[in-house]
Amino acid sequence: MRPFRRRGDELVARLVDAEASIVGLLLDQLEQLLAADPEDSGGDPVVERLLPPGHASDPEIAADYRDLTEAALRSGKADDLAIVRATLPPEGGEVRLDDDQARAWLRTTNDLRLALGTRLGVTAETEPPEDPTEEEGSQLAVYYWLTAVQGSLVDALVAGRGGRR
Amino acid sequence: MAGPLAPERTPDTTPGEDYDLDRPWVTVVWDDPVNLMTYVTFVLQELFGYDEQTATELMLQVHHEGKAIVSSGPRERMEHDTSRLHAYGLWASYQRDA
Repeated sequence: MRPFRRRGDELVARLVDAEASIVGLLLDQLEQLLAADPEDSGGDPVVERLLPPGHASDPEIAADYRDLTEAALRSGKADDLAIVRATLPPEGGEVRLDDDQARAWLRTTNDLRLALGTRLGVTAETEPPEDPTEEEGSQLAVYYWLTAVQGSLVDALVAGRGGRR
Repeated sequence: MAGPLAPERTPDTTPGEDYDLDRPWVTVVWDDPVNLMTYVTFVLQELFGYDEQTATELMLQVHHEGKAIVSSGPRERMEHDTSRLHAYGLWASYQRDA
């Protein structure tokens, strides 16, 4: 992976074949989670983290909030995901994004990190895996790889914002 | 700009601290182990128009104290702010101010 950098009006990174395939698979999994019937996915900690309660302690307010916002949040996340899929070179290569597409990548890579981080029980003390070839190590390695992708995209967007002033 | 008698900084008007009885709801961002510090700062600037220093201070408050009030106002607006933060994956909720 060559991290995101601003090039003129675009944000550009390069992914190798295997990286693009992994992102594609993760997008499929996230899409299924977001499309699942809320009745069926109730209690799934990943869904709970992607669509958190609006109130920390009052279940009635939290239920109101869910009625009001959940459908729009799910469809917004699905729209972002579709943008990432459309701009991901399926066999690797250059990713070129305008500012709106970059925001879709930011939100979706964050959702993927939240999903993986929740499944893997990531805490503030979690460290990159010592053995990325072993099963849990490899998932954690993907998590840290996504962190690097997202981090470079944030940095490139912030740098561009300064430059435009 | 500031003359010699002016304070070095304007009084601390961190958003959320200047609410009154007409604006009794707040939006809170909670600490979580996944969201990057640079990302949280970016999102607070993006959604609320905070300058970099204010957004960074709020992010650090979330990180060190576990939470920070990022906006205050009528309930409907706090619902809206919370959902905008959820769209970006921040762990946020709204509540009547204590």
